[in-house]
Amino acid sequence: MTDSSAVLAIRAQGLQKAYGDVPALDGLDLEVARGTVHGLLGPNGAGKTTFLRSLLGLVRLDGGDLQIEGTVGGFVEAPGAYPYLTGRQNLDLLAGLDDVPGDVGEALARVGLADRSATKVAGWSLGMRQRLGIAAALMRQPDVLVLDEPANGLDPSGARALRELIRELAASGLTVLLCSHDLSEVEATCQDISVVVAGRRVWSGTVVDLRGRSDRAVLSTSDDAAAGAHAPAGVAVEPRRGGGLTVQASTVQLDDYVLRLAAHGIAVRSLVHEALTLEQAFLDLAS
Amino acid sequence: MKVLPWELRKLAAQQRVRLLFLVCVVGPPLLAVVLRAQGGLPKDTLFGRHVHDSGFALPLLVLGFAGTWAFPLLTSLVAGDIFASEDSQGTWQAILTRSRSRGEVFTGKVVAAALAALALLAVTALSSLLAGLIATGHQPLIGLSGTQLAPSRAVTVVLLSWAAAAPPLLAFTGLACLFSVISRSPVVGVGAPVVLGLLMQLLSLLGGLGQSVNALPTTAFSAWRGLVRDDSYVGPLWQGVLVSAVWAVASIAVARVVLLRRDIT
Repeated sequence: MTDSSAVLAIRAQGLQKAYGDVPALDGLDLEVARGTVHGLLGPNGAGKTTFLRSLLGLVRLDGGDLQIEGTVGGFVEAPGAYPYLTGRQNLDLLAGLDDVPGDVGEALARVGLADRSATKVAGWSLGMRQRLGIAAALMRQPDVLVLDEPANGLDPSGARALRELIRELAASGLTVLLCSHDLSEVEATCQDISVVVAGRRVWSGTVVDLRGRSDRAVLSTSDDAAAGAHAPAGVAVEPRRGGGLTVQASTVQLDDYVLRLAAHGIAVRSLVHEALTLEQAFLDLAS
Repeated sequence: MKVLPWELRKLAAQQRVRLLFLVCVVGPPLLAVVLRAQGGLPKDTLFGRHVHDSGFALPLLVLGFAGTWAFPLLTSLVAGDIFASEDSQGTWQAILTRSRSRGEVFTGKVVAAALAALALLAVTALSSLLAGLIATGHQPLIGLSGTQLAPSRAVTVVLLSWAAAAPPLLAFTGLACLFSVISRSPVVGVGAPVVLGLLMQLLSLLGGLGQSVNALPTTAFSAWRGLVRDDSYVGPLWQGVLVSAVWAVASIAVARVVLLRRDIT
């Protein structure tokens, strides 16, 4: 969960949404702290996109309470654009729908499209369209920026520039909600993460906490062979190549195991908690 | 009202819309040239036999022809695409995350579609009239009652006749908007009103509908004929205005409810 003292940009409580008989959100609770980059993870069909659409006012919720601090901008899936217009004309046109039109040139420069803005969008790559979508969202100076797979179609340097842009935006006080299947992108960009499965949040916290959910530890003792033989029931112990043991146990079981080893005269030389990769942690939650 | 100029700018930038206006400007003069070159007359069409006698006959010949099927197509090419294209281009989310409400966007788009339809009608009317006058001259027009209408009266009658096509044209604009919203497909949005118009024409031709035929907007496309007479009558004209208004308002009301309630997915 988000730190209770943090000022929230988004507070969702018990969100419900079904498409016909198929539930997309099934009582989703989610909190996003203001000024953070919050990652939204989940398998396909988990309800992430529906949640993002509800933030943007594109779908009507069947139930629940959704509170958003300030204005929301962004895009879900691929951002649309008028192919018969240039990038600049697209943004000019959208600015015409705002009460306070944003600076088109500045938005284009911010996403690195200033040089290409005079060409028609019809010939643009997906990556360029993604950047145009971000520029369109930034032009309105939103308080919350929703980005769905923003690095899709971006080359490595474009993806890196995007990560830097997202960090800059968060540093300026903007809240970013990032939905991505690219876990390395999420790990490199987000402070907090929520994992959504079957329309419900199954986990929320920092990236460090998520990776620290591991129940595996590396144990080194004065006699590894004897230590393996004294493992209590429910604790899985495997010898490691090169020495030591891999222990899979809960914290309570691990405490019990260490005391047992001491009682049998086996010294514990090191016990290191083995952090999961983000992918392992995510797969564990998603399953 | 920010959506109307926004939508008009968007329409003006589309090659398809520019081409449509070009066809409306160039089509009637081309028809005049072809008729003059052929020497013969399209005698089986209303005012076709008088095309070489009076320049006022050509715009009425075009009006009679367009009322059969071209008008529904003309307005559908703009209105049938105006909502559905946002679905096909995935631009709804870009529009609906700006400062304007769905209701404002809907109203702006409908008004833009109606203005485009009226502009296309006006352009075609003026182009036909000018083409007729340049190709043939401003001789008196023989009206449907068999008597001659003086040039000063004929020009008024021609312009009023074209204006009489506006209400049913707007009814089809409303229908095209409805199909565009419901189907979310530009093809259906453009095609369905045209097919519906042809079906209405077919039903009228087959007969058997009795007075119900007057409840069809396609019937209103013929209401101008009462004006091109010495003893002009305007009953069908007012009936057409009422019928067209009902079709237009009903279509637009349903389309509005659907758009305001739908999920953008």
